[in-house]
Amino acid sequence: MSAGNVDTGLSWGAAWRIAKRDLNARFKGLRLLLVCLFLGTGALAAIGTLTAAIESELGNRGQELLGGDLEVEVWQRDLTPEERAALGEIGEISAGTRLQAMAVSGAVSETVSETVSGAGAAGNAAPVELKAVDTAWPLYGTLTLKDGRRVGAPDRGEAWLAQGALDGLDLAVGDTFTIGGTQLIAAGVIDNEPDRLSEGFQLGPTIIVAEDMPGAAGLLAPGAMYQSKYRIAFAGGRDPDAVKENLQKRFPNAGFDYRTRDNASPGADRFVSRMGEFLTLVGLAALVIAGIGIGGGVSSYLEARRASIATLKVLGASSRDITRIYALQIGAAALVGSLLGLIAGFAVTPLLAAALQGLLPVNGGFVFEPAALLIAAAYGLLVAVVFAATPLVRARKFPAMALMRARIVPLSRDGRALAWVGGGMAAIVALALVTARQPLLSAGFLGGAAVTLGLLALLGWGIRKLAAIAPRPANPLWRNALANLHRPGAATGALVTALGFGLSAFVLLAAIQSSIDGNIERRVPMEAPDYFVLDVPRDRAEAFEQLVLADQPDATVRTVPSLRGAILAYGPKDALIRVTDLEEIPDGAWPLRGERGLTYADKLPAGNSLTAGQWWEPSYDGEPLVSVDQEFAEAIDLQPGDYITIGLLGVGRTAKVANLRRIDWESMGFNYVLVFSSNAIRDAPHNLAATIELADGADTGPLLRLLVKNFPSSSVIEIGQVLAEARVILSQVGTATFAAASVAVLAGLAVLIGAIAAARAVRTYDTVVFRVLGASRRQVLLMQLAEYGLLAIILAVVALGLGTGLAWLVIVQLFEFDWLPDWAEVLGVLGAGLLFVLAFALAGSLPLMRAKPAQALRAL
Amino acid sequence: MAPALCHLGAVTSPNNSPLAISARNLTLTLGDGDAAVEILRGIDLDVADGEVLALLGPSGSGKSSLMAVLSGLERATGGSLTVAGEDFMAMDEDALARARRGKIGIVLQAFHLLPTMTAAENVATPMELAGDKDAGARAEAELEAVGLGHRLTHYPTQLSGGEQQRVALARAIAPRPRLIFADEPTGNLDVATGHDIIELMFARRAEAGATLVIITHDPELAARCDRIVTIADGLIATDSAAR
Repeated sequence: MSAGNVDTGLSWGAAWRIAKRDLNARFKGLRLLLVCLFLGTGALAAIGTLTAAIESELGNRGQELLGGDLEVEVWQRDLTPEERAALGEIGEISAGTRLQAMAVSGAVSETVSETVSGAGAAGNAAPVELKAVDTAWPLYGTLTLKDGRRVGAPDRGEAWLAQGALDGLDLAVGDTFTIGGTQLIAAGVIDNEPDRLSEGFQLGPTIIVAEDMPGAAGLLAPGAMYQSKYRIAFAGGRDPDAVKENLQKRFPNAGFDYRTRDNASPGADRFVSRMGEFLTLVGLAALVIAGIGIGGGVSSYLEARRASIATLKVLGASSRDITRIYALQIGAAALVGSLLGLIAGFAVTPLLAAALQGLLPVNGGFVFEPAALLIAAAYGLLVAVVFAATPLVRARKFPAMALMRARIVPLSRDGRALAWVGGGMAAIVALALVTARQPLLSAGFLGGAAVTLGLLALLGWGIRKLAAIAPRPANPLWRNALANLHRPGAATGALVTALGFGLSAFVLLAAIQSSIDGNIERRVPMEAPDYFVLDVPRDRAEAFEQLVLADQPDATVRTVPSLRGAILAYGPKDALIRVTDLEEIPDGAWPLRGERGLTYADKLPAGNSLTAGQWWEPSYDGEPLVSVDQEFAEAIDLQPGDYITIGLLGVGRTAKVANLRRIDWESMGFNYVLVFSSNAIRDAPHNLAATIELADGADTGPLLRLLVKNFPSSSVIEIGQVLAEARVILSQVGTATFAAASVAVLAGLAVLIGAIAAARAVRTYDTVVFRVLGASRRQVLLMQLAEYGLLAIILAVVALGLGTGLAWLVIVQLFEFDWLPDWAEVLGVLGAGLLFVLAFALAGSLPLMRAKPAQALRAL
Repeated sequence: MAPALCHLGAVTSPNNSPLAISARNLTLTLGDGDAAVEILRGIDLDVADGEVLALLGPSGSGKSSLMAVLSGLERATGGSLTVAGEDFMAMDEDALARARRGKIGIVLQAFHLLPTMTAAENVATPMELAGDKDAGARAEAELEAVGLGHRLTHYPTQLSGGEQQRVALARAIAPRPRLIFADEPTGNLDVATGHDIIELMFARRAEAGATLVIITHDPELAARCDRIVTIADGLIATDSAAR
C-alpha cells in the first residue's frame, strides 16, 4: 500500500447515512431476524418481568405476608412466660396456633363416643388447616371476607372458612359444623387471608377460629401436633435479623423457628426464584434456536446484497466500510426486533399474572421491571452478535469483481468472526451465571443445551452426508426430494438443529411430565397408605386399631410414636457444631432447617437397612442413642460415636449416634431421619401417628366418619387428595415449561420459513424446469411434500430418540422413578409439532405452485 | 502492440506528459493447478493523462479482465502496474478500494445502481465514501448536468435504461476522477439512447479533463477515441492512434 493511502474510512455517521438508505422501512429481507429476536426476547422479557414482579411483591409485602416483622414458631407447646415476656419487650405480639384437624358438617353429635357401628355418623368430613388467632391479628394487612367485610379474629363459636372448606363440608354461611367435637358457625367466607402465603403448603383449606378454640376442644393436649405462632410488630425501628440473633442466643434450646419480614415466605420465594430461573434458561435455549434463524436470515440478506456490496466496493468502499454499513443495518433490525419483543413481553405480563392470581402474590396490572427487560434485551442482542457475526464478516470479503464475472470464489474463513462468536458466547454464559441464583445448575443446563445442540448439528451434518450417498430413487420426484436434503446450500443441518431442539424439548417435557404423573397416579397409590392419621392418643392405640379393623377387616394399621424437634447441634462430643452458627446449611442437610418429625423404636424400622454401627437391644437403657439417615450423616460428616442435640418442647436433649441407616424413601410409609432409642425421648409428651392401608376397592367413606367421631382430636389425611394437589401443581409447572419451550418450536418454525424463503430462487428454478418437462402442479406439490415429509420423519426419529433418551435419564437415573411415560401424550405432542412443521413448510412452498413457467424462465 | 508507447518504469509519456496508467508484463491467472486459466498473458500498456482509449476485442479475449485489473477491481497475478501514481501491485483489495475513491470512476454495461437508493443518493455515495461533505449538492449538480435534475428522488426501478445509465455516468464523473473506465456502456441500450449516452460521456469527460478507457464492440465509437488497443487471447494485438 502506498503511504498516501491511509484509511480514513467511513465514520459511523456517514456509514449510517448509507446504511439507512439501503434499509427498507419495513425491514424487508431482515424480517426473519426481527421475528426470531422478537420471539426470544419477548419470552425472556415476560418470564423475567413476571418473576421479578412476584419477587418484588414477596419482598415489599414481607410484613403483610408474614403478619409481623418477626415470627417465632414452636411445635407442640406454648411459649413459657419468660419467652413470651421477651417477645413482648420487642413490640406488639399476636399469638396463635396452627394445626391439622378434621371438620365435620352438621350439628355436634351425641354419638361422638358411640361404638363403631357408624350409627349417627352424618354429614361430610374434611381435613382442614385450623388457624387460631387472637384479637390483635392481623398485625399487618387486612382479612377480607367475600361479603366485603374487613375483619380480624372471629368471635368465640364462629369461624371464617376458605371457600374450599365450605365446599368440602357442603356448608353455606350460617350453617354449623364441628371441629374436635366443638360446634362452630360458618360466619363468613375468606376472600383474602393476608398471611396465607407464609403459612406454606397446606393439607386442607383454612378455617380461622378464635384463639382459645383449639385448647377448649382438647386439640392442644400434651403431645398433640400443633404449632404455636407468635408474630411481632416491632415498636420502633429494629433490624429483624439482629432481633432474631438475640433471641437465638437467649433461648438456644427453645427449638424456635424464626422468620423475618425480609424472608416472609421462603418456600414461595424459593419456588418462584427457581422456576423463574429454569424458565429463563428454557427461554434462553429457545433464543439460541432463534439465533440459528438469525444467522440464516442475515446470511440470506447479505447474499441478496452481494451485488450492492460489490457495487459499493467498485465505488471505493473498503471491507471495514462494508462491515460498518451492514452491521448498522443488522443492528438496527436487531434493536427493533428486541424492542418489539420487550414490548410484547411487557404487555403479556398482566395476562400471565391473571393466570397466577390466587397462587402467588402478583400485581394484576402492567409491571415495569427495567432489570428484567435489560437482561432480556442483552441476551437478544448478544445472540444476534453471535449468529450474525459470521455472515457479516464473510460479507466484507465479497469481491468487487462479483459484478464483472459470475465467478464463485470460495471465501476464506476469517478469524475475526471467531472472536465475535466466542466473545458473544462467553458474554451470554457470563450473563446467565452472574444473574443466576444457582450458578451450578445454570451452568449444567447451559452445558446440557450446548451438548444437545452440538449433537443435533452433528446429526444434521450426518443426515446430509447420508442423503448424499443414499441410493438414488427411480422416481424423479423422490430423487429430487432426497437431493434437496444435501444439495449445495441445503438448510438440512440448520433445520434438524433448530426444529429438532424444539421438538425434542416437547418430547422430553411430555415424557417427564407424564412419567411423574404416572408415578403419582399409579405407583404411589400402590405403595403409599390410604390414610395418614395424626395425633392418635398414645393410650388409645389399641382402640384405634380395633375401630379400623372392625370397619375394614382387611386393612393394615401401623402406628409409630410421633414427636417434633429441631436439631440444635451435632458432631464429636467435645466439638459440637451449633446449627445457629452455620453460615449456610450444607447441601443435602435439609433436616437442619427447622423442626422435623422424630420417633423412637426398639427395632430397625421396616424397609431400612444398617450401613454402619449396631442397633440397640429392645430393652436398652443406657446412654441415649440415635440412629441417623446415612445421606444426612454424609451431608454433615457425622459418624457413629458422634452426638446430636435436639430441642424437644423447649428442652435440649443429647444422644449418641449409634448407627447409620439407609432409608427406602420410596416405601412411602413413615420414614424418620432420626430414630431414637426409647429411653431417649419416650418421656416427652407425645401422640402416635398412624397409617392405614385398605384392601383394594374398599369404601372409605364410613371409616373416615367413624374416625372423626371417635377420635375427634386426631386428624386424618387422605393420600388421594394430597396426590390430587400434587398433580395440579405438577400440571401448572408443566404448562409453564411447555409455554417457554413453545418459543423454541416457534423459533424453529421461523428458521424453517427463513430456509424456504432463502432457497426460493433455487426452488422456483427446479419447479419451472419440472413444469417445462411436463410435471403437473399436483406432482410439484407432491415433490415438496416428499421433501418435507422426509425431513419430518427424520425430525420425528431425532426428537423421539433424543427427547425420550434424556427424559429416561432424568426419570430413572436422576429421580429414581419408574419409567412410565404416557406414549399417547408423547406421540400426540410430537405429532402436533410435526404437523405444524409440515403445514408451515407447504404454506411456504405455495408461491412455487403459482410460478408460471414462461414468465419465470424469462426472469431466471 | 505499440512499441512507441512501451516505457519500462515510465511515469511520463514519450512527450513527457504524465501517465495515468503504466502497465508492464501484466498477467492474470484464475484458478489453481489443472483448472488454472491464463486470462492476461503479459500486457504492456501506457495511457497518458487525458487520453481517450478504446479497448476492442472478441468476447473472452481478456479486455474486461484488463479493465478490472487497471481499475483496481482485481489484482494482477504478475507484472507491474501504476495507476494515477499509485502502485497497484503493492495494494490489497481494501487499499485498492481506497485508491479508487475520488480518482477512478467506473461505468458498467448493466448500470449496477444501488436499487435501494434514489438517483441522487446513488451519485452521492462514492463521494460520501471519500468523506466529501458536499456530496449531496455535488450529486444533484451532476444529475442536473446529465439532464436528470427532475429525477433526483427516483429509484432505479422508476427510471428507464437510458436514465439509469446517465445516473451511472453521473456517479462515475461527479467525484471528478482522473480516470474513467467504461465497460460497454451502451451494451444494454437501444442505438439512439446509446448514442445520447456516448455524447454525454464524451462531453462530461472533456469538461472534467479525465482519462477515459472504454471497452466497446462498436467501431464507430472506437473511432472517436484518441487511440485503439485490441486485445486477443490475453495479449495486446494492435495499438494505434484512432485519428
